[in-house]
Amino acid sequence: MDSASQYLSTEMPDRADHLWRYTPWKRIHPTGNTKEIPTDVTSPLIGLVTIDGSPLPPGIVLKEGVSKSDGLPVEEEITKSFLEAVTEEAKYTLSVDPKFRSKVPIVLEIETVGSLCSAHICLEIGKLAELELVTVVRGDCEWFGLLRTGSTGEGALASDIVVNLLNEGRLLRIESISIPRNSQFKAGTVSSGSSMTKADLRYRMFQPGGSLNVLGSILSAGEMSLDHHIEIYHDSPETFSRLDWNSACGGKSKTVGTGMLRISKGSNGADAAQLFQNLLLSGNAQADSIPELEVSEHEVVGCGHGTASGPVDEDQMFYLESRGMSPSESRSALIAAFLNSTLSEMGGDLMHGWLVSELDSDLSELGD
Amino acid sequence: MTSNNKPILEVTGLKVGIEGTSILKGIDLSIPKGEIHAIMGRNGSGKTTTANVIMGHPAYEVEEGQLLLDGENLQDMEPWERAREGVFLSFQYPQSIPGLQVGNFLRKSVSSVRGEESSRGSDFRNKLRDAMEELDIPKSFLSRYVNDGFSGGEKKRFEILQLMLLQPRLAVLDETDSGLDIDGIRTVAKGINSVVRGTENGALIITHYSRILEHVNPDRVHIMIGGKIVASGDSSLANLLEDNGYDWLEEQIAEGVVFE
Repeated sequence: MDSASQYLSTEMPDRADHLWRYTPWKRIHPTGNTKEIPTDVTSPLIGLVTIDGSPLPPGIVLKEGVSKSDGLPVEEEITKSFLEAVTEEAKYTLSVDPKFRSKVPIVLEIETVGSLCSAHICLEIGKLAELELVTVVRGDCEWFGLLRTGSTGEGALASDIVVNLLNEGRLLRIESISIPRNSQFKAGTVSSGSSMTKADLRYRMFQPGGSLNVLGSILSAGEMSLDHHIEIYHDSPETFSRLDWNSACGGKSKTVGTGMLRISKGSNGADAAQLFQNLLLSGNAQADSIPELEVSEHEVVGCGHGTASGPVDEDQMFYLESRGMSPSESRSALIAAFLNSTLSEMGGDLMHGWLVSELDSDLSELGD
Repeated sequence: MTSNNKPILEVTGLKVGIEGTSILKGIDLSIPKGEIHAIMGRNGSGKTTTANVIMGHPAYEVEEGQLLLDGENLQDMEPWERAREGVFLSFQYPQSIPGLQVGNFLRKSVSSVRGEESSRGSDFRNKLRDAMEELDIPKSFLSRYVNDGFSGGEKKRFEILQLMLLQPRLAVLDETDSGLDIDGIRTVAKGINSVVRGTENGALIITHYSRILEHVNPDRVHIMIGGKIVASGDSSLANLLEDNGYDWLEEQIAEGVVFE
């Protein structure tokens, strides 16, 4: 069965489902008619560059078409089949050779085209490769669908950051990544764009020794509605995961972070923790964080979760003001610091500096 | 700033409360330029409130009295305006700010208080390097987050590093010596002396212990009990207090002995 038929034959999701409680499928579907697969979805412009403009090192290439990866997590059939159907003309694989090294982070630039736009990017990271990758999404489309699938190589060390800088519009982002033996994977999300986001991000450690850090630096302002769902699967012994998700919420925005941590039977020695933190910048902003656990293995090192929400700390404000910073400077500095505590973990100094500069103007607006 | 004979800090009849509870019940204090004064007192006597009120903490309500910095009314100023006018508070419990790097924080602070030019170039870098060397702070400190995971001693040294870079006209140090070992106390005292001695600046040291005062040698020592300054004297008053205790001092005052 092809993807379109698969989508049309699948039962529409119930809003009572954990995944669809906050942003129902109808709201994030490009036309709102869930029985429809639009045919006027265009492909974005995609390019691969280095963060400092230097030539791309050998061993990394973007090619057309996608392949099937091993060990992927359980996927939501509706969104996966829908995005596979609308990305027929925009399927790419980012192929990274085994033992690849780059002195500078690599940037995958995605510029949306037209009103409805989508792409499927498959990651194929070779064994023992070392990579810092930033995928940046920009543009003025009304709806963008981004499907990312793939796997890191055994023993690879990868930072994979997705930056949402869409001007307006809605973003549907589905991610399904497998992490094999002794691979260390950092999955970062930086979001300051799109008026509505529905993201379903799933990571699975399916062999021993896999390590995952999921990091989020989320800015919501105005009337944005941002909904990120993160599922982490520990399906093998001696696996490690941390989720640190920081959202700064201003205006009348609504931010939702839901986490699902699954530790399957036999994943002894698993070590996992999740923390969602929300900084509320206005009385009208809403932030909900719901971490959930499904633990089927008794012999775990740790398995915890927590959430914290609150306004800008008055004592921190006084401390900065006592150092001569005005209230708006102090507030901006505290918002930036809050987001930076996850942003700075996403990669090395070059990547960090680049991410901060990309977010600078959005941060100043939030501080006002 | 032109020189005059006005004290760097003049506090007159200061009464302060918080949420309806009176804490300071009439404080009079005058610190001439170039002098270091100390306030000693038991827990809850109003020492930290005095420090916070001078800096302009919004939680406290000034009910009566006057606060002047070199003749200028501080009460009309917000905390950041006071900082830019040259008031500095070394906090008893400095706030940690994860995500804000020490280097960036110092540059922003110096830029805010002393002007953008002062936070740039080799002059700033040299001053920073010299101050860090003097305080025995390693270079790696600059990439850490403000007070995040710092030991008690590191926090206090970091406050003094800020003091040395900001060069305030009035430094208020709230128990900067607590939790420090003797080397730390010597280092902190050196930092305070370097900012005040031989200048027109002033400092107010709030402390429980006379040890730091041995290294700073304050011009005046004030004892605070129940929200009032009940005794003042030269540095020997601190030794007298250390030898005899607060109960003895209270008895002396009850018997009509005047310390001034």
